[in-house]
Amino acid sequence: MIFQTTDPAAHPEAILYRRCTVDLCSGKIRHSDVSCRNLEDVLGGFGRSFQDLAERKIDTAFCDENPLIVNTGLLTGSSAMTGMRTYFSGYSPIKGSKKGLPAAMWSAGSGKFGAKFKWTGLDELIFENRSVEPVYALIRETEKGPSVELKSAAQLLGLSSHEKIMALRQLYPDAHFAAIGPAGENWRHNFMGAVALSTENQLKSGEDKCRFAGRGGMGSLMGYKNLLALVAQSRDKIKAVSEAVKAVNLNVVKGGGAARLQPLSRGGGGGTWAAYDVLQEFHAVPLNNFRPQGNALPEKLFRVNVEKDYDIQSQACFRCGITCHNNISERKSDGSKGEFLAKFDYEPLNLLGTNLGIHDAGQAARLIQLGDNYGMDSISLGGTISYVLSYNERHPGKPLLNGATFGDYQKIRELIIAAGEGKCPAVGMGSMRLSQQTGETSYAYQVKGLELPAYQPETNPGYAWAIAGGHMSMGTYGLLTREGKSDLDSWVKGITEDKLHIVGFDMIGLCKFFDITKGIGTQMVVDCLKSEFNLDISPEAIRAAVHRAFLRGLALELRQGYTKEEFRLPAEVFENPNPHIQLPNITTPEFIAQLEKRVWEIFEPELEGLLA
Amino acid sequence: MKINVKLIGLFQIGRFKQEDRRYPPGTKVQDVISELQLPTQHFGIVLINGSHAEPVAQLSDGDQLVLLPIVDGG
Repeated sequence: MIFQTTDPAAHPEAILYRRCTVDLCSGKIRHSDVSCRNLEDVLGGFGRSFQDLAERKIDTAFCDENPLIVNTGLLTGSSAMTGMRTYFSGYSPIKGSKKGLPAAMWSAGSGKFGAKFKWTGLDELIFENRSVEPVYALIRETEKGPSVELKSAAQLLGLSSHEKIMALRQLYPDAHFAAIGPAGENWRHNFMGAVALSTENQLKSGEDKCRFAGRGGMGSLMGYKNLLALVAQSRDKIKAVSEAVKAVNLNVVKGGGAARLQPLSRGGGGGTWAAYDVLQEFHAVPLNNFRPQGNALPEKLFRVNVEKDYDIQSQACFRCGITCHNNISERKSDGSKGEFLAKFDYEPLNLLGTNLGIHDAGQAARLIQLGDNYGMDSISLGGTISYVLSYNERHPGKPLLNGATFGDYQKIRELIIAAGEGKCPAVGMGSMRLSQQTGETSYAYQVKGLELPAYQPETNPGYAWAIAGGHMSMGTYGLLTREGKSDLDSWVKGITEDKLHIVGFDMIGLCKFFDITKGIGTQMVVDCLKSEFNLDISPEAIRAAVHRAFLRGLALELRQGYTKEEFRLPAEVFENPNPHIQLPNITTPEFIAQLEKRVWEIFEPELEGLLA
Repeated sequence: MKINVKLIGLFQIGRFKQEDRRYPPGTKVQDVISELQLPTQHFGIVLINGSHAEPVAQLSDGDQLVLLPIVDGG
């Protein structure tokens, strides 16, 4: 980026970002330095891409006019801890209104690709149209600035996400990679394709330890464009960490936000996996398609039980002090570490484990690994399969697909393989479309076309206003469980003011674990921006930019045909309240009606003129 | 007074899962947290008899106290 001011809030136009536009049809490549329109553009990520998407009227995700925008955030590749994010934006194949229009969507991932991309000198890469032949894009740092070339990717067709990355690694040993799996290649029948991002650990060990930009089917959009991978080749530009950033990083590692993610051996909480223990106390761990039964079944996947039989290693992303992933490997008979199986994060573990009736850690790990290798969003995949299993439980005489039921590992595995290979559109197209076909929509656990993450909707009516699927774009998931808030005022304030700020992380290039409860409008971020770029900005200005970006996302949803009735939790939550969840009931029809009324009363005036 | 204390997740390590413990009248939740030396940076949720409470809450004889680590996204 080019900085010609120290005051980005007052003079965003004096900050320019470097964009490259690639026409995949003609092969034309155009570079430009673009002035920022506002602070959202400066911060980057979806704050910028959604403004570009808003300029296009898109009726179907798989059309040449729908761009794929790859960008980073201001702090991606910086010395600020967790600054590794890459964002993929476009109109989503899976998230869409009942009117049939696709919703604007972004997906974020870590790994080292984002930093390498930024270090090529590029801030944004827009892919227009589609290629006739499969290609990959080679993004390089050169003496004349960033260069982008398209290369034939015929040799990559059919390979898993991990295999594509390792094949490209042979050609570009100093690069990092973003790649789709077979699911993205089979975009016609699979709308939940993810983009895998390479990690240092993966490239060194040869094990399939990618990170994923999973949500919203951006991998399927990439597949439609016949773009199988991205290669970012640049020198590592790791500068000395300033005292100011060092202090921030120390705060991130030791602060409350990240402490719970550190390994138990370092006095941490053991990663996101620890959510199992806490949520189980409320019988709020999703089980058998989001219907906890008030029993001890979820405890089988508690860490304390899994570590009896499997090797667990806590590891971190490139240059990050938060060792948030728990990598699970087989344990050999002599007690040593065996084959790597999968990374246990709370979401995939639950949605491809307990919520499918799978309570064996090895089986859950294999299902996670399978979904990752095919390159599918584990949340949409798990949520759609759990719908199938629930349907089959209700219709034993006339089941869907292969008749899989809860806990049937082999048949669930078959469904994942079939979906990944594009042979099972019923699963590949997501639970909203499948439930519309069956006519039984009440227990499809999705909102606005995106499957819910692994938090019971009964604990989070804020899901309805999330703009990029579930809890990571609406941080109200802990308002009831953690904070014990069950009054209307707290929920209205949470949704319309405080908790939407979680999306700021998907602008600036930082992972949410940087400071998940406070967002990016903080002194820590201010200090980083001053130290890294000599920018003077207030926490209030950052918060205002995040708020505007969120509202723009909401406005875009409404423009794409969503009615207010679609901002609603699955009907089963209201029609058949779960008696086992030991928390106050804040999803009664009366509470929800009041909540909707008051939230829209606040949002609607704020939305006026936002897309004009 | 007798308080049934239940610890969740990492709080159990080196301590216990659930047990009846004796405390003097006027004991607050934070006194129990201090006594058990629970790591404050992980501290998340207090439940007294199944309802959310604050660390400053005073306990009564026969209460069940559940202490849970923080849960915050994943």
